[in-house]
Amino acid sequence: MVDIVFGIGITALTGALATIAGAAEDTESNIGSQGDPNSQVQLAPQMGFMHRIFNKAVAGEPPAYGLWCALGAGLAWAFMAMQINPVLAIVLGSVLAVFVQGVYATTAYLGRTASLAKFGQPVYVDILKSMTTVTMAHAFIAIFATVALCQLINGALGHPFPLPLLGLIWGITLGAAGSATGNPYYGKERQYQNQKFGAGVPISASGNIVRYAEAGERNSLDNGWFTAKIGGAASGICFGLIVFLELWRTILFEQIGAGWGAVIVGILIILIFTVVDRYIEVWARKNYGPYSEIKEASS
Amino acid sequence: MSAVAAKPQAGGAMNPGAMAVGIILLIIMLGICYMVSPGIGLVALIGVIIGGVLIGFGVHFVPVGGAPAAMGQAPGIATGVAMLAAGAGLAGLFGGAWAAEQGFVIAIVTGAVGGGMMMAITCMMVNFVYVFGMGIPAASGKVAKDPITGDTQAEYKSQGTEGHGLPFVSFVGGVIGGILGGAGGTLIYLELLDLYKATLPGIMSVTAAQVMPIAVSVAGIFAVALFLVNAVLTAYNITGTIEGPHDPKFKRWPRAIVASAVASALCGLVAVLIVAF
Repeated sequence: MVDIVFGIGITALTGALATIAGAAEDTESNIGSQGDPNSQVQLAPQMGFMHRIFNKAVAGEPPAYGLWCALGAGLAWAFMAMQINPVLAIVLGSVLAVFVQGVYATTAYLGRTASLAKFGQPVYVDILKSMTTVTMAHAFIAIFATVALCQLINGALGHPFPLPLLGLIWGITLGAAGSATGNPYYGKERQYQNQKFGAGVPISASGNIVRYAEAGERNSLDNGWFTAKIGGAASGICFGLIVFLELWRTILFEQIGAGWGAVIVGILIILIFTVVDRYIEVWARKNYGPYSEIKEASS
Repeated sequence: MSAVAAKPQAGGAMNPGAMAVGIILLIIMLGICYMVSPGIGLVALIGVIIGGVLIGFGVHFVPVGGAPAAMGQAPGIATGVAMLAAGAGLAGLFGGAWAAEQGFVIAIVTGAVGGGMMMAITCMMVNFVYVFGMGIPAASGKVAKDPITGDTQAEYKSQGTEGHGLPFVSFVGGVIGGILGGAGGTLIYLELLDLYKATLPGIMSVTAAQVMPIAVSVAGIFAVALFLVNAVLTAYNITGTIEGPHDPKFKRWPRAIVASAVASALCGLVAVLIVAF
């Protein structure tokens, strides 16, 4: 009983850490413009729209976070092997991983933006100085939270995988969940704020991203501020639910029916999310209605 | 047939000659494994090939819209095919590896359910953001009606787009993809773990208990690596984006099955040779 209570407490803590990691990851990737919407940041100068948006999408979010979290976890593991306190070891490992992220962000911005020189897009040194540190700060939160939850899974819950491998697995999953959930909000809702709400961006509008803010030119800090409100929170909930429910079903139900209990609960969770998804889909169709009224009126 | 009509077929065409070469390569690699390690090594390699094929097939189900989906220009999840499938499959592998002590079947089913759960949560959150964050309903660009629910799609596509969000059939496809990926990744892990648990103590002259951390780590790293190999390989077969099992690109899966089997056999052979040669 004590083990189960302890396990539930650790599960709740890992779920909370995962939620923070997901929110920080999405905000970091939006400030750095690393996800799929970056195609528009890269395309805009080629269409004649110069901008002051950061641009570091050399790799997708999942492999990038797989690298950084594996690096942070591996270094933390090495520090712990040197008898350094685990909390300090995780902080040190995450700090060193963030330096790698900073180097990546700097070289990526310079390289990608320099490649647009023929279209007249300048490299802004002030953007490099002000954005890189902000992405590094958000990346630190995401990496620290992910490595900390990996340490809890490994050390407190007894998962057989070593810490660096857990860092790689949950880093890739973090990037996958964060980019899947957060990218549309940044790509459609922020970059194309000049397009109609409640509709996709027409393909003909590609590259015409919003470049001006309330005062002066828009930069990536504005994008991070905007997307943190829904995209970041949704990404955090997504990754938090993935980690929490995976651990919860294992800790509470693994002992029931020689392991089948956790399987049945997992299937029930999938069915519940299927029903919720279908409800959301039908709700949208009913409340928003079809787009084709104009066609019906003209016929 | 016009050139325009021929295009999609050319993209999805099967090349019998290449398929035959692939199958011959597969048999050669199985033969090499049989010569080197006819018992446990061969069983492990066959397990790795089946796991790789499951991953390769499963990736075709995952609805991925890439960059266009991020602007609401195309249906699917706004990220890369390989990376999303890897995220789901690795979440499954995490659960499967945890359940390894409880038996082969339980571990594989646990891994499958773990992958399916990851995709179910992610797909639901994608629709949540589209509907409540952006006010956009789900609509497919590839079919007139959702094959499962029968919902019409065309009138819910906004002007100038191919569709957006995840129609129900894409959600189901995502979950199936996660299930197949989680099962495949866990199968690879279990087969290699059995191989290393049996062979490493003799090679390293240590006890079975001492070799466990090394066996788990090496089997886990190979499972992750094989997952990425098969996911990336399949991403090339899909060429960009896919909506799910109803997408015409889904019909390309036989080509990916052969390619995944050959790639998994080669990688699996290396995994066997490090302990059996």
